[in-house]
Amino acid sequence: MSPEIHLGAVGPTLLVGVGAMLVLVAEVMLSGRESFLGRRVTGAWLGSMLAVISSFFLILALIVAWQTFVVGSAQVFNPSHPMVRLDRLASFSIALIALGSLLSCWLSVGYLAELRINHGEYYALLLLATSGMMLLVSATDLIMIFLGIEIMSIPIYVLAGFDRRKLRSNESALKYFLVGSFASALLLYGMALLYGATGHTDLAGIATGFDVSNPLAAMGLGLVLVGFTFKISSVPFHQWTPDVYEGAPTSVTAYMSVTVKVAAFAALLRLLVEAFGDAPPALGTILTVLAALTLVVGNFVAVVQDNVKRMLAYSSIAHAGYLLIGFVAATPEAYSAVLFYLLAYVFMNLGAFGVIVALAHRGQDTDRIDDFAGLASSRPGLAALMTLFMVALAGIPGTGGFVAKFLVFKAAVNEGVIGLTILGVLTSVVSVYYYLRLPVAMYMREPGGEVPRREIASGEGIVLAVCAVVVLVLGLFPNNAPIFLFSWIRALDWTRDSVAMLF
Amino acid sequence: MVPIEHAIALSGLLFTIGLAGALARRNLIVILMSIELMLNAVNLALVAFSRLHGGLEGHVFVLMVIVVAAAEVAVGLGIVISLFRNRETVDVEDVSLLRW
Repeated sequence: MSPEIHLGAVGPTLLVGVGAMLVLVAEVMLSGRESFLGRRVTGAWLGSMLAVISSFFLILALIVAWQTFVVGSAQVFNPSHPMVRLDRLASFSIALIALGSLLSCWLSVGYLAELRINHGEYYALLLLATSGMMLLVSATDLIMIFLGIEIMSIPIYVLAGFDRRKLRSNESALKYFLVGSFASALLLYGMALLYGATGHTDLAGIATGFDVSNPLAAMGLGLVLVGFTFKISSVPFHQWTPDVYEGAPTSVTAYMSVTVKVAAFAALLRLLVEAFGDAPPALGTILTVLAALTLVVGNFVAVVQDNVKRMLAYSSIAHAGYLLIGFVAATPEAYSAVLFYLLAYVFMNLGAFGVIVALAHRGQDTDRIDDFAGLASSRPGLAALMTLFMVALAGIPGTGGFVAKFLVFKAAVNEGVIGLTILGVLTSVVSVYYYLRLPVAMYMREPGGEVPRREIASGEGIVLAVCAVVVLVLGLFPNNAPIFLFSWIRALDWTRDSVAMLF
Repeated sequence: MVPIEHAIALSGLLFTIGLAGALARRNLIVILMSIELMLNAVNLALVAFSRLHGGLEGHVFVLMVIVVAAAEVAVGLGIVISLFRNRETVDVEDVSLLRW
């Protein structure tokens, strides 16, 4: 008997995977030739060409995911043994991941040429990691969750070390690899124990068989949580984040800081709701402690950083803390707030890293805060955009960051999570200090010396413009914008619909 | 027939040895081996549980883990080699450019 297979459930994953293979083949075919269709094959042209191919497949995946989201019915890969389910949560996350990858892809073209690391594998690895994330967010079985995490992580280990002549990049890759594979081993042991305790690997089966008084099950849940806290870089397993974010090429940092976060949080959401929906109150306590520690450590250590990439790494740890508040509240309202937060976070963070990418010059990143001194006079456009993204990350009204924080806090208060919400508000006051250090440096200090400048590549310009517009639209009109062009954006409804199917 | 407790105890022991090795040793190659040991401890536990429950999921899981572990170690060794080319060291203590 052959099983009934619905390939549509893995449609976006397959499209992106096929895209990765095609990029590899195209690189080999094109790089050996003198000219192609009458154009001389140069490194820069080849890079743009591969970016175009990657964008094509990412846009296809985006369209497929969006169609599935609009139609709204869940597709299961193999209904007799469900392991992958493309429901609204999955298709929303896939669309978000595809969008983040697409923007990172455009961000990379000029930057890779500037750093002279314009190798074709970059786009293939980017697409492979993306397909892993897409599998991860639609997985409903421990086996597929593990597989998704690994397909996502292994290409990113390579990407982090992509600038392989630079020691910092090597070191970043090494640290990410060691911590990542260590975390996967812990996660895997937790999965094995959960399987042993419940006799099931699918999330629904674990939910029926899970009994917290069984030490195997409790330990399994604990180890799985530890594995996930590594991936979402929450305290106490956050130490790798600043090192990896600082050492990796900035375009890779931009990519992994947003898409990995979306994928890991969406998978954690599904895991907690579907497998541990009626879990013991101890789980809530653990999440509360994690969220509180993450908020405090992320925000306070960010204050003393001199390197912007490092500062943004600690800020991303802090944002994981705000997202965890939503998991503590654990209501449909809170989970949809988490998804809205992720949506806003993708564009704020990509924008902030995008400005650093656009400032890279002569093969070097200009990523110290001192490098930003006086930028407002030499690069007024970039300075204004950076200010917007910093203000959005700090959560000041009028930007997507504010609406996201507000929704999470509101859901938490409605559920009676008062202490954590107060801590969240207080730490976001602290965060204003370090986020505003950059605008202060840019607008109120004199430039430190010769200001390097490079023309902004067209891809970078588009990415920065898109991010800025989306951050503002999400902040001013999260639902039903009165402006004709944006009236189709109904982010609040989307996030609500995404989680509605889970409950 | 070997009781399930024995297999689980052995797997827990192997996992702990791997964990201790990954945390305490300084040589990158030894750390890689320790992580492999942890993954194989997981495989042992999965096979034992699979036998206990009489299902096939555990066996399928083990095959996935073996394949992924091979891919992971290939990438890991590649990263170690690229570091060695720049630095001529395989000691994690020497890899400390990035610090807060």
